[in-house]
Amino acid sequence: MIVFDQVTKVYSTGNTILDNVSFHIKEGEFVVLTGASGAGKTSIGRLLIRDLLPTSGSITIEGADLAKLKPGQLPDLRRKVGVVFQDYKIIPDKTVFENIALALEIINYPGKQIADRVHHLLDLVGIPEKDNLFPIQLSGGELQRAAIARAIVSEPKILFADEPTGNLDDATAKDIYQLLLEIHNLGTTVIMSTHNEKFLPGHRHIHLEKGKIVGDSATSAHPKKHNEQRAMKNDK
Amino acid sequence: MINTALKNIRRSPYQALAAVSMTGLTVFVVSLFALVSLASQLILTSFETKPQVIAYLADEHKPEEVNQLIGDLTTTGLVKQATYVSKDEALKIYKESVGNDPLLLGTVTDLGIITADVLPASVEITAKSPDNFPTLVSILERSKIVSSTPNGQKEIDFPQDVISELTAWTRAIRTAGLILASILSFNSVITIMIIISMKIANRRYEIGTMKLLGAKGAFIIKPYLIESILYGAVGGVIGWLASYIALLYSTPFLATRLVGIIPLPVDPLIMLALLAVLVVSFSSLGLFSGLLAAVRFLKR
Repeated sequence: MIVFDQVTKVYSTGNTILDNVSFHIKEGEFVVLTGASGAGKTSIGRLLIRDLLPTSGSITIEGADLAKLKPGQLPDLRRKVGVVFQDYKIIPDKTVFENIALALEIINYPGKQIADRVHHLLDLVGIPEKDNLFPIQLSGGELQRAAIARAIVSEPKILFADEPTGNLDDATAKDIYQLLLEIHNLGTTVIMSTHNEKFLPGHRHIHLEKGKIVGDSATSAHPKKHNEQRAMKNDK
Repeated sequence: MINTALKNIRRSPYQALAAVSMTGLTVFVVSLFALVSLASQLILTSFETKPQVIAYLADEHKPEEVNQLIGDLTTTGLVKQATYVSKDEALKIYKESVGNDPLLLGTVTDLGIITADVLPASVEITAKSPDNFPTLVSILERSKIVSSTPNGQKEIDFPQDVISELTAWTRAIRTAGLILASILSFNSVITIMIIISMKIANRRYEIGTMKLLGAKGAFIIKPYLIESILYGAVGGVIGWLASYIALLYSTPFLATRLVGIIPLPVDPLIMLALLAVLVVSFSSLGLFSGLLAAVRFLKR
């Protein structure tokens, strides 16, 4: 479904953020991306919605080469890939309801059904009573839930959640993770970037370091093993 | 979409006020010039349809001599109409023009009641063009039946320069109105465009987020285009209303001076037609301004 083939991204400053990255994510997978800050996790998300173009290599989603998409096809791609942004990107002067409804208005969802759909999503993410509040009135966890609700309200095939549990306490982080599992169980392909290794078990795990994949549990290179080897080297 | 546009307007009322007042002023001026232009055209038409050259005849003229004169004039091909006005008809015309004023009718003066004998018969000529006046006047001057003043000058009235002057004034008013309306319309376009550009720039974060969520350009710019159209339409209504009030206020003054030339007060249907034209034109102008701003943004 998603194919990164030898993708390299070099910024105009000369900083290489992804270096020859290749992976293949199948439909319905739950993939956890790990790596330190600056490893390239967010860039993968931005490349997925063509907010960035690769310097070399190719990215295809459902067979479509993202670099070859015409500007008019970009909205269709972005409707296919829901993103929970690290900084939430919740519009500050719209209420929670309006923020989520916006994603539906963008896809021309029938006007009369928008309210029902938004309230259903608010129930699903666990903030049903927060619909008329503005983002500034929400806690970090509530904002994260609102961002998730907006990302999935239009039923995208793919969900990229960029550090959805960062800056949250353990209990809230666990709730958010459970929520992503529920979304995955509904059939959505989920890619979650995180620092939190608690969420690794049972999922495919891709580990990035300085823009390179140093481990992928779907291939022979096991990220956990790599980490252990690296730790041993450091000890020596 | 309309709700979003209205919300945008509510969020920055002073910007909206600037856009509407600029458009309103433009429409006010355009509306006034349209009315003045229409009035000047009516005045010109009125002058053109009235007899332009009047030759007063000596009392001893004979009907065949009059027919000969009219024949001489019409064979030139420069005359639209040439008619004989007898003394009795002249009195009738005079009475119609002065109404029941006893002073002008002579009923309260020592001169006695004005009768047909006092007034001369005449030949009234409507020329095809004011340029033909000299030729027609030369024919009249050669005629023996046209009366002369004691110093030998033929009694011929012809407002040689009035119509050409009026035509020139009408053209000048139209040109001035067109130039002023163009300048003001340009200012309106720039004002709306700058306001919409500022709004788009201020909402860059929101627009960027909408793009990331898969919004198409048309979805993003539609509320701004609606807002621009609203500025044009509301400005159009306000400007028209102001010009209508100005017209109604000046109607009593104008009515006494333009009696028989322009029917006053102006027919409300004409004003409604003007409103429709202005609202459609300035809504389009607003849309054009909004598009200019939006296209600049979409190109980025």
